Amino acid sequence: MKRILVIDDAATVRLYHRSILEELGFEVTEAVNGLEALERVAEGDFDLYLVDINMPKLDGYGFLRELRGKDMPQAPAIMVSTEAGANDQKLAFLSGANLYIVKPVRPERLASHVLTLLGMTPNGRGAPS
Amino acid sequence: MALEFKKVTAVVSEQMTVEDAEILLDWLIKHPRGRINLSACTHLHAANLQVLMAARPRISAWPRHAPLAAWIKAALTP
Amino acid sequence: MNPLLDQFITEGRDILQTIGERLLQLEDTPDDSALMGELFRLVHTLKGNSGLFDLPEMTRVLHAAEDLMDAVRDGRRPFDRPVADRLLEAMDFVLALIDEIGDSAEAAPPNTARHANDALELANALRGLLAAAQATTPTATETEPAATPAPSPAPAAMPLEALPSRIQQELTQRLEAGEPLCWLTYEPEEECFFKGEDPFHQILQLGEPCWRRVSSREDWPPLAELDAYRCILRFEAILNTPAEALHEHFRYIPEQVRIIPLQPPAPTSASSSEPPPDAETTWSFNVVLEAQREILGLTDNPPWLSGRLRAVATTLEAAFASIGQVVERDALEQALHSADASHSSQPLLNWLDEQQRRGDTQLPTAASPPGAPAEDIAPPPEAQEPQEPIKFGRRAEDRLAGHTLKVDQAKVDRLMNLIGEMVVTKNALPYLANRAEEVFGTRELAREIKAQYGIINRIAEEMQDAIMQIRMMPVSFVLQRFPRLVRDTARKLGKEVRLVMEGESTEADKNIIEALADPLVHIVRNSLDHGLESPAERSAAGKPTEGRLTISARQESDRVVIEISDDGRGIDPDRIRRKAYERGLIGEPELERLTDQEAINLVFAAGFSTAEQVSDLSGRGVGMDVVRNAIACVNGAVELHSQLGQGTRLRLSLPLSMAVTNVMIIESAGQRFGVPMDRVAETVRVARNDIRTIKRRLTTVLRGRLVPLVTLNDLLALTIEQVPNDDDEFAVLVVRIGADHLGIIVDDCRETVDIILKPLGGVLAGLGGYAGSALLGDGSVLLVLNPRELL
Repeated sequence: MKRILVIDDAATVRLYHRSILEELGFEVTEAVNGLEALERVAEGDFDLYLVDINMPKLDGYGFLRELRGKDMPQAPAIMVSTEAGANDQKLAFLSGANLYIVKPVRPERLASHVLTLLGMTPNGRGAPS
Repeated sequence: MALEFKKVTAVVSEQMTVEDAEILLDWLIKHPRGRINLSACTHLHAANLQVLMAARPRISAWPRHAPLAAWIKAALTP
Repeated sequence: MNPLLDQFITEGRDILQTIGERLLQLEDTPDDSALMGELFRLVHTLKGNSGLFDLPEMTRVLHAAEDLMDAVRDGRRPFDRPVADRLLEAMDFVLALIDEIGDSAEAAPPNTARHANDALELANALRGLLAAAQATTPTATETEPAATPAPSPAPAAMPLEALPSRIQQELTQRLEAGEPLCWLTYEPEEECFFKGEDPFHQILQLGEPCWRRVSSREDWPPLAELDAYRCILRFEAILNTPAEALHEHFRYIPEQVRIIPLQPPAPTSASSSEPPPDAETTWSFNVVLEAQREILGLTDNPPWLSGRLRAVATTLEAAFASIGQVVERDALEQALHSADASHSSQPLLNWLDEQQRRGDTQLPTAASPPGAPAEDIAPPPEAQEPQEPIKFGRRAEDRLAGHTLKVDQAKVDRLMNLIGEMVVTKNALPYLANRAEEVFGTRELAREIKAQYGIINRIAEEMQDAIMQIRMMPVSFVLQRFPRLVRDTARKLGKEVRLVMEGESTEADKNIIEALADPLVHIVRNSLDHGLESPAERSAAGKPTEGRLTISARQESDRVVIEISDDGRGIDPDRIRRKAYERGLIGEPELERLTDQEAINLVFAAGFSTAEQVSDLSGRGVGMDVVRNAIACVNGAVELHSQLGQGTRLRLSLPLSMAVTNVMIIESAGQRFGVPMDRVAETVRVARNDIRTIKRRLTTVLRGRLVPLVTLNDLLALTIEQVPNDDDEFAVLVVRIGADHLGIIVDDCRETVDIILKPLGGVLAGLGGYAGSALLGDGSVLLVLNPRELL
């Protein structure tokens, strides 16, 4: 089963993402900030990261830089932001994100990107029961 | 005021503002066979475009300003 | 309520509380940047959360608050009193909205549109503070992401095939020549004209497109019904402009546009057995690819470059796989390797170009919209919406809500008031009948009026009942918070408690249910704090370590009964006696005389608190008297039973509805008063001879029981004797006070009437002894007594 790490300090957002991702059949792990996310990463590999920007202790940019600096398999990362500014997107990409999307993310939209980034073919995409 | 009404023709001069849309709409309701002369028009606010698309009046002259004419033609003659 | 909304409310309240605390701290230490940062993040988080729901008012205010905090954090605006005040005010508003959402008990958040003006004012006030600090930032309306999660333009597949073949050919040629063609769809939001936007101007600025179309998102209405200022236009164009430039052009309204870079068409992929990807897949593929190109276009050389490049490679491989294309791993590995070695993205870019040029790619241009026939020039709207890969709760539930009508509480209240007045007015008819007979001597008419009164009375009662039904709500409304409360409180106290709730669907009037909330919390806390023992204490007493707390609700005739029981240590009557004596609540004689049950009931006495030490939970001696008074306010009663070592049971009994009160009219000192019927046990006539004075108190014996008597005139401090009837008998109203009976001597007992009890207002509000006043059918005002307070 594909493993996804959802990193956000807002429990509501984590629940929102979790509910979408679990419905697609993925295993979801949560972290409430970048530091905790790094701990989760140290414990095991993930196939995808969903990263919030603003978080206490270590923000999303910082987490990604740390992550991309590691000598380990590098899974795609989606940066989930509340800002639609071009600057934020550039900063996300510079830090090592592979996709930048703006909250609130529509469930079907998020699902679509997640499936693409996990390399799931249309066959693998059907509507889950 | 960018609109001048002559019997069955409304002549548009230069820029049609957002306020003109209401006036144009009123006139088109009262004159279902009214024509529009856009030749002097250099820009019209989207609200006017919307009124024209809904009313589909005869255009007696298209704007001389080519980029504008192309878009209005595309909108009115699909 | 759906779990996500539930989570939002819970987290929202927590965050708001913290925000409030931090704001106050920041007032003391305005230079604390860590505090400032945390405050910003909290506001930001809450705003993000609110965006998940359709709560534009909340989002608007939070967005403004966030902008202000951002400016404060960056030092563009000092943190001062006005900032703190405004922010606190804004957070109060948000809390009120959250409470409202929490109260709605609906699956979807309620519509909060009626607060739109308040939201706007608050947001403007917040931004006003900002504007004073810096005049150069773009205006609020421009940068604010659509407060309503605006329906994004449908990510339709591009029906390029539907375009005239001449244009298709031209596009293909231009694409093959390397022109960066993009398909733009721009659907300006409906209110855009009011924001000073001119979408047509935006479009014209883009330059001459290769192809264009202007259409409407809805059918045009008849001209007379057209709203010229509600924008329903859709602009589409294929432009020779890089996607980044288009994104930049529409940067303030990204949610209203869709920009898809086109790629040259290719022979249909024969190697793949995969079905052609659907529109959503293709769209996502394009977005992901575009992002990777942008990343590869970055020219910096950070320490994490290698990881970034590897992530891009992984992403590209996955993206191609997602549209059914297996890439040659070796080539990709090689490109990655040389990119890594040269600290440059170029090898990967080359690989990507090659990959796309080879035309192995299943192309978006070849994709038809799912389910739409190829010849369909303008796909119908439903075909444009991509098939939703997953169903999400919100929408599905919205549809289910169809059978339920949501009504503003004020409207129901108005109905309630109207029916109340109707009940009062109809009571005028019997007076009228009497007058017809006595004053005008028309017995016939009097009888007819009475007959009509009977009918009106029945209809009024049914109407009243029907309206009452609307106001009914389940007890679960107040009970739902208890699992969390019990869990948290028990944990804090180091106790193990299992909460059992029964009969949550029992219904009662909204006012009753609401009145229950606070007393229940207090009772439950008391139980957790004092009633249930610690695990060690329990096992020492031979009980299971996990205590049991039960809250049950049920209907008993016209009352709703709530029982809260625990299997804790129970109440020790001796300790109560001692405490009550120590506090001077009882004298020495009572110390001996009080039965155990009477002693236990002393916990309801004002100023009594059993807590050995003040606990942070039940606070400083806010005791059971508060609970009893709160319940009494809605004509409820509390009974307490306790068995030492076995547990405690509190029984709350409340009326199902409190809108109409049945009162008995009595006369005394030439005036009429009302007494609520639910307090009246019986009315009797007592001969003067049967009234004795025992220990200077008037008493009489009713059915073998000694009943103390008081005169109403005494109670009202009137120095007038009560008037007996011609047989020298006094009218006595026997009322229940708790478990006791008391006879009140009045001059006469009259009929009972239904009244709408209004609390005394103004100067009279502080007057004890009265439950309120009511208007009678003959237009006179009746003062309704509250026997409990009178004594």
